This record gives sequence, structure tokens and C-alpha cells, in this order.
Amino acid sequence: MTGLIGVYVFDERWKISSFGKYGLLALQHRGQENAGLLTLGDRFYECKGKGWVEDVVTESKAKDLRGHLCLGQVSPYEQETEDTQPLVLKKPKELALVLDGRITGIEDYMWDKTLGYERNILNALEFHLQGEGEVVEGVKSFFAHCRGGYAFIVLTIDGAMVAGRDAMGVKPLSLGKIGFDGGIVASETCATDTIGERMPVSPAENIAPGEIRVFTPLSAYTTHLPVRSPRTAHCSFEYVYLARPDSYINDTAVYKVRKAIGRKLAEEGAADTDVVIGVPETAIPFALSYSAESGIPVERGFEQTGRRVRSAIKPTQLERLKGVQLKLNVISEAVKGKRIILIDDSVVRGNTLANIVYLMKEKGAKEVHVRIGSPAIVSHCPYGTEVPPEDELIGRHLNEEKIAEVVGADTFHYLTLEGLVESIDVPRNSLCLGCFTGEYPEEA
Amino acid sequence: MKVLLVGNAGREHAIAEAFERSLRDVSLSCLGELINPGIQGICGKTGGQYLRGKINDPLVVADHAEKLGVDFVFVGPEEPNFHGVPDELERRGIACVGAKRAVAEIEMSKASMRDLQWENRLPGRLWYKKFKSFEEAVPYIKEYAESIALKPARQAGGKGVKVIEDFQVYLQDEKRDLKYSHAKTIVDEHMKPYQDMEYKLLIEERVWGPEYTLQCFTDGRCVKPMPAVQDNKHAFDGDLGPETGGMGSIAGGLNLRWGVKEEEASILTMEEYVKSTEIVEQMIKAVQRKTGERYHGVVAGQMMLTSVWGPTIIEMYSRFGDPEALNVLPLLKNDIVDICEAIIDERLNTVELDFNEKATVVKAASPEGYPDKRELARGHPVKVDEQGLTRDDIRLYWASVDVQDGMYVTGGSRVVEFLTVADDIPTASIKAERGFNHIHLTDGWKTFHRSDIGAPRCLGKRIELAKLAREIYMYKEKKGILGRRLTWIPGKGLMEAG
Repeated sequence: MTGLIGVYVFDERWKISSFGKYGLLALQHRGQENAGLLTLGDRFYECKGKGWVEDVVTESKAKDLRGHLCLGQVSPYEQETEDTQPLVLKKPKELALVLDGRITGIEDYMWDKTLGYERNILNALEFHLQGEGEVVEGVKSFFAHCRGGYAFIVLTIDGAMVAGRDAMGVKPLSLGKIGFDGGIVASETCATDTIGERMPVSPAENIAPGEIRVFTPLSAYTTHLPVRSPRTAHCSFEYVYLARPDSYINDTAVYKVRKAIGRKLAEEGAADTDVVIGVPETAIPFALSYSAESGIPVERGFEQTGRRVRSAIKPTQLERLKGVQLKLNVISEAVKGKRIILIDDSVVRGNTLANIVYLMKEKGAKEVHVRIGSPAIVSHCPYGTEVPPEDELIGRHLNEEKIAEVVGADTFHYLTLEGLVESIDVPRNSLCLGCFTGEYPEEA
Repeated sequence: MKVLLVGNAGREHAIAEAFERSLRDVSLSCLGELINPGIQGICGKTGGQYLRGKINDPLVVADHAEKLGVDFVFVGPEEPNFHGVPDELERRGIACVGAKRAVAEIEMSKASMRDLQWENRLPGRLWYKKFKSFEEAVPYIKEYAESIALKPARQAGGKGVKVIEDFQVYLQDEKRDLKYSHAKTIVDEHMKPYQDMEYKLLIEERVWGPEYTLQCFTDGRCVKPMPAVQDNKHAFDGDLGPETGGMGSIAGGLNLRWGVKEEEASILTMEEYVKSTEIVEQMIKAVQRKTGERYHGVVAGQMMLTSVWGPTIIEMYSRFGDPEALNVLPLLKNDIVDICEAIIDERLNTVELDFNEKATVVKAASPEGYPDKRELARGHPVKVDEQGLTRDDIRLYWASVDVQDGMYVTGGSRVVEFLTVADDIPTASIKAERGFNHIHLTDGWKTFHRSDIGAPRCLGKRIELAKLAREIYMYKEKKGILGRRLTWIPGKGLMEAG
């Protein structure tokens, strides 16, 4: 997963880099390992590297990024700076590209295994840009040949921006308004809230699967990939964990889904307890509505030290544990002598959860009943969400009872798959549930 | 009966069509700067002439009117009003439907319009400041970081207005820079052709809410409103792109209803519609009191339902809106000659306006390059399949077009406007989309249009926006603080803007 942003204003007097920077800050939860921001003035200006947005795009560096158009990304992948997006293609036509998700195959292109993913994408794209045709058509033709689940934004050197989603609509993308006449394309609508026009009725709208939005200095229009998918396959994990709760994904409020999940957990996994506690940040809405539904009071169980780290997407176990331990200092008074429902969004390997339960018991919790706001993760994600090898996935190998023993909980229950689908409130076959089921929307 | 119509845009085409429908045996002539083939056709059919000439020159217009021996003149656009065409006609004893120079001031000078509102404490007045130069505005822009609308102090063909929302303090430097730069552009560029105005720049508080145009006939004694219309100013779908003269507009019933049925959702309530009419009427009365002149013609409130006031004037028009005229005139059941005569004789109160209860959608096709790079948009040969349009039940209005060597070529602005009529706005919107299959520029240059005008999603959002604005202004009304802006300034105490 990656957080993408592209800002297109028609008035060339705007200096856009700060808008891009704060837009990326709003998407920081989608990736905290590297960041990149590129602007178009008389040429491309770029700034990218390892770390958080504010560390990479510092105030002084943002000042040097000239121009009125920009493109940027944050991602959770450990990468060398040369592979860090935005990727820039010099020939045959100069353009910059950011991608979320994963292109799993490209028709009529022989994947060069000696090169990395990024280099392969650029080589294939280069092929489609040969000849006299318009760049926008070349970009469209390239993505028409791509398989996989992805969202993209391309900015050309002559000031056209092309943004779109794969035909299944796995990864999210939205369009908002900015600065009176411009558009913001971003992975999530929270970026529009942060830098865009503040209208009481959000001007942000969903970009549909297979839809492509084109901006040129003379026009802005919608077109579509010429390929059709027999079904949509919106990533269900966006609703559970990836997206921010103030965002809309595929026109559905993430917060609404998280509250529905909390209610479902209260229905499916009721237990006689004294308090409900959510693991910050993601599981807080689950806990709030679990409490409202069950009548069991909610408590704030943790206080954090340092930055808001998204521990689950940290690349190494050490980093993840560091994240959890700093983020989750248990507030003794909230747990001492209490029977607790502890809610978390998902379980991958189970060791950070074990750590949390241990910390709570150490501070005097009498019972800890763990409820998870998603089904067991049993399989990989072909579309770029980092899931460890299958032999590391606790839910693939152990049943709920065993997991309870491993993590030190009194009881342990996942949300059922049906419960998840009902909470998202769309037909099951319009979602990608691959990480929970091992069944994917396209043939391998 | 002989009538001379002044102007050659889509709006005048709709006015010409209303005269063509008249049962009073009208022979319609038209004076335009370019040749509008639609109006030209109507002039031919009714036995009138299509003349080419300077519509802003009062002597030219009056000479033509005299030569033709017309019963009255109908002025379409605003500039002839600003140049005193109706005044010259009156001097020569020729009847005219058109606002005289003094009363057209409510449109021509955006600063005078606001002055008038504040002098008379009229409802729907926005907080503003006027400046004679860029330098005069600099200290103000520097000191106050807030959301504003920057406007040329004069009506400048709808160009130059920019709203800069300045709420996010972390982006305030960039926004202030653009405020400076745009204020300078207004003074140096947008106001450059107009040396007839002391003030150059207007800064107004930025408000939000759904916009609408309330067009009225007036004889100076009473104001007769037509159905409210909502125009779409941004060039591209989703309200993106630079501001244009209007890419298309919708109307449904009197109060912008989804459809013709009473119970359907609407952008305005009937109370707000009535209130808006009262506001326009108060403006007319105020400008007549101030100038001692009668207002004969069409007046329109370019309004917004804001959280500050409810119905609020953004700007005034001293004429029909374009394209808004197209939404109402084709539905007008009255004979337009009867209305014009009642205006001239100041007995408009005896006329009951009657409109077909229908929903209308107008969509304009513009050549790429419009509105900011008109040199690119100009001079492309255009072909329209009129039979195809008739088959699809779409009415064609020629807008910015000229006839050169027997060929129609684009004039740089919106080239044609399509009108569709249906029982609800979304149906009319879908119908209008088909129109774009029947127009193309034969040299391969592209045109664009707004597909979202009147579409359910867009209309739904506008209705929702109106609801939110309504909740807030009604709260203020209940508290007795409608239109007031109270702030607590630490160390200074309770302050009120305005």
C-alpha cells in the first residue's frame, strides 16, 4: 500500500509544494518508510528519501520545489531512493508516476527478472509511449495492458495529469477540489479535507474502478480503461485497517464501517466483562460501538510515547515491537482488577498482541477477552499490502482457542467473514477478501 | 409590430424565439456584432432584418431603431445598458425595454451595488471593501488572512472573480501570495479596458452555499419573478477549471425542484424564493430612489443561499442571464410583447406571469481554449446536425459564432447551447447529453461540455448543501443574529463586522 497524491490547479500562479506536503502528511498512515514529492514548474523538481514526510520534505526543501502542479507518495516499503516514487521516465516522453497497489502482469511485455518492479514498469510504459500519439493516450494504452490491483497518477512534463484505478477497483482513489478551480487526486478523501476546499458537503468524490481522470491545461475530463472487469474487488482491508476513519473509500465512510464492525463483534463475541478497551488508533471506533451496543463502558487503556507509529506496517519485528511498546503504555487505573474486552483490528503473527495482553495483565487486568475486528489473515496479498510468508501467519495455523493460549488471553474471537461483509455493507463478490480466504479476484 | 433586438448571444436567440412565438404579428430585427444564425433565421422568417453594427454605441442603435421605425427596442446584454443605449432611445422618443445607465449601475459597479445595500441596510448584504488601486489593497491583504472573494469593481464580462478560501493557516503564505497576485491582475488586466470606474477592486467576505439566479421583469413599480435558475460557472465537470460565463444551467418549477411534482426535493424553499424576490425588489427601489430614474427591463439577482443571511446577493444583472434566459423564456406562456408593453407603460402589475411547469437543462459546448485562451478557441468551423437535434428533442441556441464565407465559425466563447425540457431535471440532463453527438468542429479541434449539470449526484449535492446553509441561517434567525458577524477579540472585546 502507498498513499498517493496529485494536485492539479489551472492557475499557474499557485506555488503548490506546501499543498503537496500537507496532503502527504494526511496520508502518512499509508506508509512511513519513504516519501517523495515532485512538482512541475519550468521542469520537474523533486525531493524524496527515507523517513516521514516532515523529515523528507522539510520546509526548506519544500521551498525549492517550484511550480503549480505536483505529485507525491508515501509508502511502507524499505527501498533505495532510486526506486522510491515518484518514478521518472525521461524518454520517449518525460513524465513522473506514482502507483499504489501492485501491477501483477503486463500483456505483451516480458518481465525482466534481473530488474526490479519499478524498472520493469517504466520499461513497459516506455514501450507504450513510442510514436507520435498523445501522451495521455499512451498512458491509457499502458494501463489497459496491466493486470493487478492498483491506482496511479501520472504527471507529464507538458502539464497533463492522468489518474485512475484498475478495472477491479482494488486500491482506492478519490477526486477533491482545491483552490477554487483545481483538483486533488488522492488515495483517500482525508487529503482533500486537509488541503482542499472546505465545503460542508464534501466535494470529494470516488473515482470508479477503471475510470481515468485527465487534466490538461485546456480541459478536465473522464475516460475509461478499455478493459472491463467481470467484477469489482475493493480491498476489504482498507476498511478494517489501512484507511483513516475520516476518509471515504469507494463512497463508503470508513468510520461507519468500523462502527458496524464494533457492533458485530458485540453480537458475535459477547462476554460478561467490566470494560471495553480498543487498541489505538485503529481499533478505537470498534471499541466505542462495541460499548454502545453491549452497554459495557469503554475505557481509554493506553497512552503513547512519541509519534503516531503504525506499528503493524513496520518492516521488521523489532520495529513493530518497538512501535507497540512505545505506543501502548497501559493505564493501570483503567485495567486494574477489571474484566476486559480488548479489541484490535487484525492479527498477523500474534506477537504484538501477546505483548499487549501481557502488559495489561502485568498492570492487574483480571481477565482479557480479545476480539479482532477482522477474520483471520490466512493468505498473502498480491496487491501490495505487506503480509508475511504464510508460515508466519498465526491465524492460518492455530484455532481461536489455541491463539487465546498463545497470546495469554482468556478468550479470543475473530470477526466472522460474514460479519465483515455485512459491516462493509456491499455484496461479497464486489470485495477482495483474499487475505482472509485465499481466493483472489483474478487468476494467478 | 416592429421590434429591434440588440445583441447576438444565446440569450438573445432565446429572446428572439419568444418574439417569434408572439401572436402580435411581430417583425423582429436584430442588431448584433457577429452574425447569430439562429436569430438571423428568425429575423428572416418574421420579415425583419439582421444588422451588423456596434451595439454599445447609443447613436448607432438609435439610428437603426429610427430607420426601422420600430415600436420598441429590447436590449439583451449589459454593455449597451452601461453605455446608455436605453437613455439615447428615450431621448429620441423610442420605447425601450432595457435598464438605463443610472439604474444599470447595480450591475456595472459591484462596489456601488454593495454601497447601496449598506446605505439602505438591505438584507443579503455581504461585508466588503473597495479599492482604487492595487497599492491601496496591499496593507489590507497583508493584515487579514481570511477567506475572501476578489472581484473587479466593475462587471467585466463575468471575468476576473476569484474566491480564495484561506482557512488552513498552514497554507496561508501561499494563499496570501495568490491574493496579491490576483488583486494585481484584476487592476492591471481585467479593469484595463474599463476606464469608466473610480474603484478598481472589490474584496468581499467569502460565503458558501448553492447559487441561483432570480430573473425578473420590472417596470420600476413592481417586480415579477421568473423561475429560479442555477448556472454552473466552472469550465469542467465537478466544478473544476476556471470560471466561465456559464457552462449550463438547470431549473425546475419556481424553486429549483428536482422535478415538477410539488413534493420533490428542491434547492430553495418557496419562502426563500419569495424572500429572494423581495430582496431584488428592494434593490430596484433603492437604486431608483438614489438615481431618480425608472428601471424598465429585466433585472436578475445572482444569488446564493448562505449560512450568513439565507438568500444573499452575490451580484446583480441588469438583463437576463446567459444561459439562464434559456431555462425560462421557452416556458413562458405569456406573450412577450404584452409583457414588454406593460413594462413600457408601467402597468406590469396587471400582468400575471405564467410558466409551463417543467424542468429545463441547458448545456453549452465550448471549443477548447475557452475561457482563458480564447485565441485558441476562435475561428474553428463548426457543423451542427439540426435534424439530429430535432429528432432527439433538443433545442439549439447559437451563442458565440460568426458566419464567415458562408461557414459557421467559433467566436471563442461557448459556441452553442442545448436546451431540453422534461418532467424532472435529471431526465432533461440525460436528454441534453445526446446533443453533443450532433456538433463537431470540422477541423478536428475539440469541444468540451459539462456532463454533470443536472445529473442526480450533482443535483443531490446542491440540495444537501442548501439544507446545511439553511440550518445555520435559521439558527441565526432564531437567535436574532441573522446577517450579523460577532467576534470576540481578546483585549478589545465583543466586535461586530460591518
